Amino acid sequence: MMLFFLSSGLFLGWSLGANDAANIFGSAVGSRMVSFRKAAIIASIFVILGAVFQGQGASHTLGKLGAVNAIGGSFTVALAAALTVYGMTRAAIPVSTTQAIVGAIIGWNLFTGNQTDSSSLTKIVSTWIFGPLLGASFAIILYFILRKIKRSARVHMIRYESWIKTGLIIVGAFGAYSLGANNIANVMGVFVPSVNLPEVNLGIFSLNSGQQLFLLGGIAIAAGIISYSEKVMKTVGNNLMELNSDTALIIVLSHSLVLFIFSSTALSNLFVRIGLPPIPLVPVSSSQVIVGSILGIGIIKGARNIKLKTLRDIFAGWVITPLIACLISFISLFFVQNVFDIEVVSRVDKEITSHNNQQNQIVINGQGD
Amino acid sequence: MPIFNRHTKKIILKIDEFFDIVDEGLLIFKEGVKNYLGKNMDLFEEQISRIDRLEARADKLQKSIENDMIIHTILPQHRGEVVTLLEGIDDIIDTCKEILKQFDVEIPDIPESLHPDFISLTEVVTNAGEELIPAARAFFKQPHTVRDQLNKVYFYEREGDNLSNKIKKNIFHELNDLSLAEKSHLRYFAHHIERLSDKAESVADILTSLSIRMVM
Repeated sequence: MMLFFLSSGLFLGWSLGANDAANIFGSAVGSRMVSFRKAAIIASIFVILGAVFQGQGASHTLGKLGAVNAIGGSFTVALAAALTVYGMTRAAIPVSTTQAIVGAIIGWNLFTGNQTDSSSLTKIVSTWIFGPLLGASFAIILYFILRKIKRSARVHMIRYESWIKTGLIIVGAFGAYSLGANNIANVMGVFVPSVNLPEVNLGIFSLNSGQQLFLLGGIAIAAGIISYSEKVMKTVGNNLMELNSDTALIIVLSHSLVLFIFSSTALSNLFVRIGLPPIPLVPVSSSQVIVGSILGIGIIKGARNIKLKTLRDIFAGWVITPLIACLISFISLFFVQNVFDIEVVSRVDKEITSHNNQQNQIVINGQGD
Repeated sequence: MPIFNRHTKKIILKIDEFFDIVDEGLLIFKEGVKNYLGKNMDLFEEQISRIDRLEARADKLQKSIENDMIIHTILPQHRGEVVTLLEGIDDIIDTCKEILKQFDVEIPDIPESLHPDFISLTEVVTNAGEELIPAARAFFKQPHTVRDQLNKVYFYEREGDNLSNKIKKNIFHELNDLSLAEKSHLRYFAHHIERLSDKAESVADILTSLSIRMVM
């Protein structure tokens, strides 16, 4: 039964793998610099590693937005997000899994009367703006660095191309790791509060309940990459702008850096230690960051190559996705609760949570006095 | 890992050898015309057989480079352009060989008064080819410098046109002792030598557009 409830998350993971792997290896595979087989194997391995070993940071923030505390609710929320992603992909509208899951969680909050944590929501939504901006900034900086290296190194074009090929594989592996680390929260984050699995000891390391869920989610993403991403990589390719191997490398690297930054607990702690504000650990839309990075390159090149219609569709998708996911989530929760009689919110948990919130409020007020 | 790919080194060496051969072919062409005009027929014959061998080797290398690029997916995004470039450069050595063969077969009787102009024309068109080779080499290492290097190619091509016109005018306006058939024959040779710089100019055009696309 547990696996049935997890199936919606696994489906979401599958669609994430099918769609977002193209952000990492699309240019390399589309331009035949790297074979799909090689790309799929590397992406699958690293996406699982990222999910299991670095997936908890972003998942924690998503949990704060709305702690979906009953497995029926988690199932429905993930299903609503998955259906949104699937439907919009079918309609050829660029879609973000992050926005879909955030919309679906808000739908759960609205349905259950749970208050949406505005600070978490602000944190998440602000990264929807900062993610692409950071991606564009990294892309611009990396572009100038690579151009300087290329001009001063005087390397033969064929040798340089082979370095770029190697770079695309290494950066692709890093990108897959970051994608797993950052986006696993979208896939399995909603199940973390409602599923409690016993810890598994594998000798060298042990996996807690969350990590086991992330491992399952990672495998689902890998399945999406292996079974369906080839088509996406070869057809979608460079929809926004024509990319050559140099710019492809820059874009994948800037995308990976952004995803890594928004999911690395260690980096956030380092920031705090040196007196800087912590980095919000938030699931960021991989596609949005890629769009931002491509735009960064487009700005340098005079924005002549950017296809504005594609850009407009992407922006429209950003607005529509959370709204549709929220609506589907709300309606589905109604049916799941009232037609199938499945619990979508644990009232006991909710009461405890609300009681704790009240207590905290009293303490905070007391301190204020 | 592609970074350790031995094919990369092999193909770079083949491209370098290809350019060396075309460069050598141009020198042999220049010497061949001079020897023909100087009536050093033994040396001329030897140069024809040398350019024959070089042209065959260049063809073989060009095919081998193209095959390697396909088999080992080298430069997949620019393969078509690089192949066009190599074909254009191969055309230059083909033209050198063709012109020398025409001298050998048709044995044109060039009046001594035209020898200095024919030698100048040969030198100018060869210069256009010789200036093209470093630019083509630069395309593979520093594409942003290619356009500057190509200025000389365009200059020599224009000079070649002017010299060729001068020769043609001389033939038809001043050499009244010659028959129309002889005049046409001589004009034909001026025209053929001039073709070499036209070929160099075509390749320069390809290089210009390629380098613009390759520069980051």
